Amino acid sequence: MSYEFDFADVFAAWPELLQGLLNTLWLSAAAMAIGMVVSVAGALGKTSGPKWLRWIIDEYIELIRNTPFLIQIFMIYFGLPSMGLKFSSNTAALIALVVNVGAYGIEIIRAGIESIQKGQVEAGKSLGMRPLQIFRYIILKPAIQAVYPSLTSQFILLMLNTSVCSAIAASELTAVAGDIQSRTFRSFEVYFIVTCMYLGLSIFFWTAFAGIERSFLRKPTR
Amino acid sequence: MRELGPNEILFILAAVRWTLLLSLVAFIGGALGGLLIALARTSELKWLRLLANGYIKLFQGTPLLMQLFLAFFVPGLFGWSVDPWMAAAIGLSLHASAFLGEIWRGAIEVVPRGQWEAATSLGLRYWPKMALVIAPQAVRIAIPPTIGFLVQLIKGTSLASIIGFVELTRAAQVINNATFRPFTIFALVAVVYYIICRPLSAYSKRMEQKLQVAAR
Amino acid sequence: MSLFKSICRRSLGALVFAGLAAASLGAPANAATPEEIKARGKLIVGLLTDYPPFGGTDAQQQPAGYDADVAKLMAKSLGVQAELVPVTGPNRIPYLLTNKVDVLIATFGITAERSKQVLFSNPYSTLTIYVLAPKNLTIKTPEDLKSVSISVARASTQDTAISAIAPQGTQLKRFDDDATALQALISGQVQAMGASNTILAQLNKDYAQLNMEPKLTLREQANGMAFRKSDTALAAYANNFIAEIEKNGELSAINQRWFGIPLNKLPPMPTF
Repeated sequence: MSYEFDFADVFAAWPELLQGLLNTLWLSAAAMAIGMVVSVAGALGKTSGPKWLRWIIDEYIELIRNTPFLIQIFMIYFGLPSMGLKFSSNTAALIALVVNVGAYGIEIIRAGIESIQKGQVEAGKSLGMRPLQIFRYIILKPAIQAVYPSLTSQFILLMLNTSVCSAIAASELTAVAGDIQSRTFRSFEVYFIVTCMYLGLSIFFWTAFAGIERSFLRKPTR
Repeated sequence: MRELGPNEILFILAAVRWTLLLSLVAFIGGALGGLLIALARTSELKWLRLLANGYIKLFQGTPLLMQLFLAFFVPGLFGWSVDPWMAAAIGLSLHASAFLGEIWRGAIEVVPRGQWEAATSLGLRYWPKMALVIAPQAVRIAIPPTIGFLVQLIKGTSLASIIGFVELTRAAQVINNATFRPFTIFALVAVVYYIICRPLSAYSKRMEQKLQVAAR
Repeated sequence: MSLFKSICRRSLGALVFAGLAAASLGAPANAATPEEIKARGKLIVGLLTDYPPFGGTDAQQQPAGYDADVAKLMAKSLGVQAELVPVTGPNRIPYLLTNKVDVLIATFGITAERSKQVLFSNPYSTLTIYVLAPKNLTIKTPEDLKSVSISVARASTQDTAISAIAPQGTQLKRFDDDATALQALISGQVQAMGASNTILAQLNKDYAQLNMEPKLTLREQANGMAFRKSDTALAAYANNFIAEIEKNGELSAINQRWFGIPLNKLPPMPTF
């Protein structure tokens, strides 16, 4: 028998695919934004926090970096309810993504902060800048500039990781693929199209990150 | 329903060998492919650079889950039968080629331009230049991120469970399906991955710090 | 603006690439006839391992259950070895269509949609599927499913059946297999589950405190073996085989082994 390709059924489901794409986009963007906050806060804690806090952050990083995301998401969705913590699929997915990306983001931002020379901060102080200004313009911005490529590739990995969230019935692109497949049985066609859609998302984020770098990070501070 | 007894735990732990073997095969496959990709990316030929770049973007821009799924089902369309083990090995090797290729390209490019020019002026052609001058310097830089990626690869083998290859994660799912003790079982699995990956992560980190100190 | 343009240009490139790749696919594959299987010396059967007692595993983690027994019996009647390949609900059709298996004996309900993709044998087993929920939850009609969260195995017949009757607002959560869907019910992530009588029996035995009962009967499901559309000779062979083991009591013995009761009469082949 020869396999006959039929993309018609899959294309007919375009509203669902589009919805899945938007959900994935939203889930990724939300996880990136919250993950960024966690990373900066964690990096601060690791560079200037008390010893016990640094220890906790270190252990968190090692735990997450050395276990698979699939296991982490199972633990959060199926494991935590037995301890009285229950989240919906989508919330559990978001939490798992943030917890995961934070472990990488903290190390990346920390490396950026450590690349800044102490003298810069002193110079800021002598110019009469307030602590928040010093943090924002002298520490954070150059730190992010220094590690921007690693940070953005980590965010792309996060976006690709959202595909694993279908395992806990989160509504995103891979789950939509599964649903369409269960109706049309056109597995290859569905997964092929969805793979291309993920590639499209990656291209979107690559381009957007490059745009952000051009518009906000390369220009000298006013 | 069965109880979660020593037999079941043993079954899960025994599946670690498949996780390790799959990681090893994918790492070797990925190293061979990655070497070609890295050389192509740093080549003087523009089309070769573009081709390698396209390959990297394709594999870094799509989920590993989809890559494994397609690696499993696409050969079947051509009448080649691959079992989940072959499919996982092929899919993960192709995946690793892209990432290792990119890591090693970075390492090659860090070698100062002057070294290339000096080697050329000594009359060395491409291959001797690569093997004798560039590679020995690049390897030192490449080791920490390569080990770091190996950790990613080991964790990535957990997705092979989705195409039905019985490695650590799939073994845990099979046992969980029969015993319904998810918290215990997945915690156990997390500990096993941790024990495998932690020393590698620590080694990679230490090497990186050493290199940084040396560079100062 | 230039950012937007640049995104569009690159995305277009990806689409063109995807189109080319799609066009270059497509190739012949091989059929399976009883003669070829005899010559090869083995029958490759896809079956479930997450759906006991139809398709589960034994203490050695080998596939075992009603379906595995039927598969071995069919291989024996062909005079060959049975190679049992574990499949899951969502991937069983791809396994068949990409020639990874000769036949699915995978508790596969005979439905009109599936008949468009595969060739079914006559029924060889049957089960009833319900919406299961705790006793204190009132579900009398499909309308009552509104605002209830229900887990199902993606691509299962209960998925299709509930999707068809559930009103707007029903939270249907699709998981990769029955075990994960059941896990969601047990861990309290959903209130109800679309499942068969076998799952119900398991729940009442191991999780009696959940007080689960059948609320809505979705359908009586007749399960058939599934073949590729072109493998008519093999399907005809299977129909004879099923009739024979039903008549000589071997199928009833299998039912007795896994369900503790002899087999009732098999349902007729559904017509659409």
